[in-house]
Amino acid sequence: MKIQVNARNRAHHFNATEGEKLLYAGLSGAVGLPYECGSGTCGTCKARLISGEIVDAWPDAPGRKYLKGDDEFLMCQCVAKTDASIEVASFVQTMEAGVCVPAALKGHISSAKLLTSDVIHLQIKLSQPMEFDAGQFVMVQVPGVAGFRGWSMVNYQREAESLEFIIKKKPGGGISEWLFNSQCTGVEVEVFGPLGHATFYPGLSKNILCIAGGSGIAGMVSILSRAAQDDYFRQYRGDVFFGVQTLKDAFFLDEFSRLRAQCGDKLNVTIALSKEDPPASALSDYPHLKFDTGYVHDVAGRHMQGNYENVRAYLAGPPPMVDATVRILLQARLATDNICYDKFS
Amino acid sequence: MSKIRICNTAEIPSNGMKDYDVEGGLKVLIANAGDCYYAYQGVCPHQEVCLAEGYYDGAVLTCHQHLWQWDITTGKALGLAEAPLEKYEVKVEDGEIFVLQSSALKAAQLFMDVSGDTLQRLDSLARREKYESGSTLYNIGDPTDDLYILDSGRVEFLIGRDGTSPAGFVLHKGEVFGWAALLENQARRIAKATCLEDSVLLRLNGEETLKVLESDPASGYLVMRKLSTLITRHLGSQGEK
Repeated sequence: MKIQVNARNRAHHFNATEGEKLLYAGLSGAVGLPYECGSGTCGTCKARLISGEIVDAWPDAPGRKYLKGDDEFLMCQCVAKTDASIEVASFVQTMEAGVCVPAALKGHISSAKLLTSDVIHLQIKLSQPMEFDAGQFVMVQVPGVAGFRGWSMVNYQREAESLEFIIKKKPGGGISEWLFNSQCTGVEVEVFGPLGHATFYPGLSKNILCIAGGSGIAGMVSILSRAAQDDYFRQYRGDVFFGVQTLKDAFFLDEFSRLRAQCGDKLNVTIALSKEDPPASALSDYPHLKFDTGYVHDVAGRHMQGNYENVRAYLAGPPPMVDATVRILLQARLATDNICYDKFS
Repeated sequence: MSKIRICNTAEIPSNGMKDYDVEGGLKVLIANAGDCYYAYQGVCPHQEVCLAEGYYDGAVLTCHQHLWQWDITTGKALGLAEAPLEKYEVKVEDGEIFVLQSSALKAAQLFMDVSGDTLQRLDSLARREKYESGSTLYNIGDPTDDLYILDSGRVEFLIGRDGTSPAGFVLHKGEVFGWAALLENQARRIAKATCLEDSVLLRLNGEETLKVLESDPASGYLVMRKLSTLITRHLGSQGEK
């Protein structure tokens, strides 16, 4: 099917195959359609149908509350039945050369292990390698659970053959319940990606500041891996703030210690505990890491005061944490193009 | 031009902001900066997010969704923002804030830097016309007498490409089209403009508009700069696919 998108600035054309979600079809065709969650909740990918016929695969998607008229729909949930013309209210550009154009891939779950009582480390082996940028995420669909979920990659390699994720158990969350309760190893999954704009590349030449809450740390670990592979912290500072409730909820502390030992004292990792003071054992077990008490944005704000020169900040976590962090960074006069996050959770 | 009461000055925190729904479904954001009050469209021009939920420090307004920013004194786009905010004229009388509802001409990016006098003269040239959904305003090959500014509604604009595959986009309030009326040797339309819903347009005769701009070359220069930027954008959109 031929699809024409009339955006605010210009028209784009792409092809969509039978059953392919319009958002995914457009992105695969290097058309930079608007999206955030890619999974029917945020409403960012809404569009208006001008002509042609489409079918909504998830008429109860929560993101539909952002739609106004009967002719509006979510591109991440709808497929085309015929050639179609649609309209998007925002500016849409063709993806720049060098950006990893997303694609639909197959894979299987190759390992799943518990990191804490409610956090799983999951690995998906892909049927073909994927290029992605540090900080990006993919949409994953597992059999028997409707819809795609967005998960950030933890690892970073060129031509990655497997992807690693951190998944927090959400009570009543379809996919996380399934992962925690079943023997998921070996199960075939569908993957679409990479997605997300909050990416890091060594040519950035800025100090980096990572502020993450809970499983939001995943993308930060990918960014740190890429930076470490490039000896980035020989020249630039890295400040990482990882927020959890108690020390029992923290994970990757050995990995952070190892990175700190490898990269030297330009890299600083601080674990912010919101519900307890750091136990003395933490300080002796992890001498390379810092610990502090408070919400991660407050802790980061205190430690970073006066240190915002030439800084690019990456944020990830629950929306209230991201909003609070943005407020602190704007007050610190960090320019908006140096505040990077994807609101997909 | 209508005058609408919005609120008491006491309701707006110092260097803070608040939004109000006024008649006709319009949301207006009122912001304080020292001794001054400013009024803007209350909804982000990007993705319909309420700007009052964003961040404001007394000088720069930031939308919390994608961090678009604007200068509070002018509404001009800063940083990541790709579009300015529509500004409304504010009158403060006896501690009450009124907004003077502007014409589309004032909201038009093309005329945004024009002097007050010239804007008034252009305003007097403008004819306000209503069109029903589906009406064609002009077609390829029609004469290029008039320039159009969209006041309300939505207009689909299709630039013909080998007659069969048009490059199209949709225009919103304040956007200008039919700009061939301001160019030399462009007697015929190269595009088709159709109303996608009931729309109100301001229509200015091209020759009369040029005369007004000639009498104020400083303003005319700024309009021509904006116009050439606008045309460049369309050149870009035709070349790629």
